[in-house]
Order: sequence, then structure tokens, then C-alpha cells
Amino acid sequence: MDYFKKMAGTTKSPPGVSLSEITWSWVGGFLGIALVALSHYRLLGQGSDLTMIIGSFGASAVLLYGAVKSPLAQPRNLMGGHILSAVIGVTFYNLFHDQMWLASALSVATAIAVMHATKTLHPPGGATALIAVIGSDDIHSLGYLYAVVPAGLGALIMLIVALMINNIPRSRRYPEFWF
Amino acid sequence: MLLYDFIKMELQIMKKNREISNPPAPPDISEEDVYEAMKGIEGYLDITPEDFRVLYSLAYKHAISRLAQSVKARDVMTREVITASTDTPLREIAQIMATQNISGLPIVDAGKKVIGVISEKNFVFHIGGGKPLRSFMEVVAYSLRAEGCLSLPIDHKTAEDIMTRPPVTVMEGATLSQVASLMAEKNINRVPVTDHEGRLVGIIARADIVQTSCTVIFPPKG
Repeated sequence: MDYFKKMAGTTKSPPGVSLSEITWSWVGGFLGIALVALSHYRLLGQGSDLTMIIGSFGASAVLLYGAVKSPLAQPRNLMGGHILSAVIGVTFYNLFHDQMWLASALSVATAIAVMHATKTLHPPGGATALIAVIGSDDIHSLGYLYAVVPAGLGALIMLIVALMINNIPRSRRYPEFWF
Repeated sequence: MLLYDFIKMELQIMKKNREISNPPAPPDISEEDVYEAMKGIEGYLDITPEDFRVLYSLAYKHAISRLAQSVKARDVMTREVITASTDTPLREIAQIMATQNISGLPIVDAGKKVIGVISEKNFVFHIGGGKPLRSFMEVVAYSLRAEGCLSLPIDHKTAEDIMTRPPVTVMEGATLSQVASLMAEKNINRVPVTDHEGRLVGIIARADIVQTSCTVIFPPKG
């Protein structure tokens, strides 16, 4: 019965954030994604097979600009999480692309495990790994280049925006640690 | 101000005045302590060791304040209070303060209502005879320069001529926090405690607050 009792939860949600926090989160999120999206929609040529924008960046933006003190949002986690998860995702797609459900599940689960083991846990990493499997075709055709473009490069752009924007207000600083 | 800050300030003053040589200190949690503690918890904790250390010391101060709400003035006060009345001659009051070794006392009326408070400061202030002096040494310096007896201006006066009024008092149900805040704010060393009708029931000195709080805030070492 302990098993079900545990599901009841023990504590309460932490306090909400101030209006200032909400505002700066919005500003950072807007600028970070704007730069990544601009690099995709404007910088890359029309016929390019490359992509600069993937769904997991939306998740990274939440952490980078909305939860700046979280260990999950720190540079090591951001970069390590995306790059490692991308490599893992591409690998499992290559191995199991004819069993998509298996490739998907192995990809995400292994990404979590490897991120834990390397202290680079970053929730959007799970998305990066999954996207490597479910694709689009453009993403599939990148192969391991996916880990650099968009995963690594997009994350780097967002990191630079985070360093510049998050340190402007007096109540904020970023990062908490590099290593 | 938080009771915690009041106590720290008082202990620093007491150390400076050599009243205590080893002030107790709150437990000093380091980032390493937090890191080691985190290792002992299974599962991922979404907070950095440094943030947790800061959070811990803030929470600790809140806990102290919470405890400070439960202790009331009546729990801490001294009930035997030396008092005088408005028409008590000052030479008698000075004698009482000297003999009883107290630095101040409340002035009460026939119904034990607190009318004013006299402290050493009131004497110092009035001894200058028209020239308000602020410290004992100013009095000494002045008296060494002047001719004649300094205390003459107040020689035949009574309590109500020099007492501070209205007096700063607290009700017996006030929290320790409120008393400490009041002392810090008004820069006074003692507060008479009254019942709901303003009658004197006790008195609290700064040292009473420090003594009561110390065992709660700073657990004894060893």
C-alpha cells in the first residue's frame, strides 16, 4: 500500500515568481528563439537540406530564460545534453529505423541515462534524441551532422543570448556554474 | 528588524564591551556540507548547492522569527520593578538608581499606571543647566571647566521635571520580536510592560531578550 501512498505527494508547489522574472523570461525566450529562427528562415538558403530549428529549442528556452538558477539550465547541461542526445538519437535511428517505436523508446531512455551519467541532464535533450528518430526526412538525411547543426549550433546561439540577457537585471545572474 | 539580527547586534555590542568573551554563533553551513547532504539523497535535486545554502540560512532566520512570535513579553519580563512617582525628588531617585545599580526606572501614578521613564540619559541631559549634554564625559568635561556645582539646576526638582514622557511601553501579550523591534527602533534599553489598562506589571531589558533568545537560536556547543 506504500506504493499507492507515495502517489499522494508530500509537499506543495514552490512560490510563484515576480512580474520582473516573468518579463525577463519573456524577453530572453523571445530573443533566443528569434535568433535561432532567423538563422533558419533567413540565413539558410531556400534549397538547403540543413535545418537550424528543432522543437527541443523551445524547451531549452524555458529553462535558459525561465529557470536560470536550475542546474538543468546551466551551459554544461545545455550543450552536453543536446549534443550527446543527438548522437544517441541518430545512432538508434540507424539501428532500429524499421521498428520506430523501439528506436524512439531506446533513444529517449538512453539519452536520459547517458545525460545522468555525464551530469549533463537537460530535459530538451530527450526531445533532441526523439526528434532524431521521428525525423523529418531532412533531419534523417543529416546523419550525425544533426549533432552539430542544428543541435550544437542552435544551443550555442541560445547560450550566448542567455549570457547576454540574463545578466542584465540585478536580480539575475547566469550561469551558476560552467563545470 | 528580525529578532535574529537584533540578537547578533546585541552580542557584538556585549563582546565589544567585554561583557562576554565568546559569543555563541549560529551553525555555519558550508556549500560542502550541502553537497555531501545532497549525495545522501537518492534522485535528482533541482537546486544548486549554493542556492540551497542561501535558502537554508534564510529559512533558519524565519524559523527563529516564528519561535520569537510564540514567546511573549510576560514570559520574559522581570516582575519586581523598582519604581518612583512623579513627585519623588531627584536626589532620592539618583540614590535609588545608585544603590540598586539600575540605569533607569518607570515613573508610575497612584494606580500603577506608567506615566514616564527616567534613565541616566535624562540626568545627563538636564545637569548642563540649560545646555543639553549628551554623555557622562560631556558632563565631566563641562564641570571641570565651569565654576560652581553642576547639579544645582536640578537640585530641588522631582521626577516629573526630567522624566521622558510619554513613555515607551509594551503590553504583556507583545511578542519577543515586537519588543526587540521597539527597542532597536527607539534606541532604548528597557521597556516597561503593562496590562491592558496601562498598569505596570513588569519590565524587560535588552539583556533579557538576549538571554531568552540565545538558548533558542544558538544551541549550546558540545
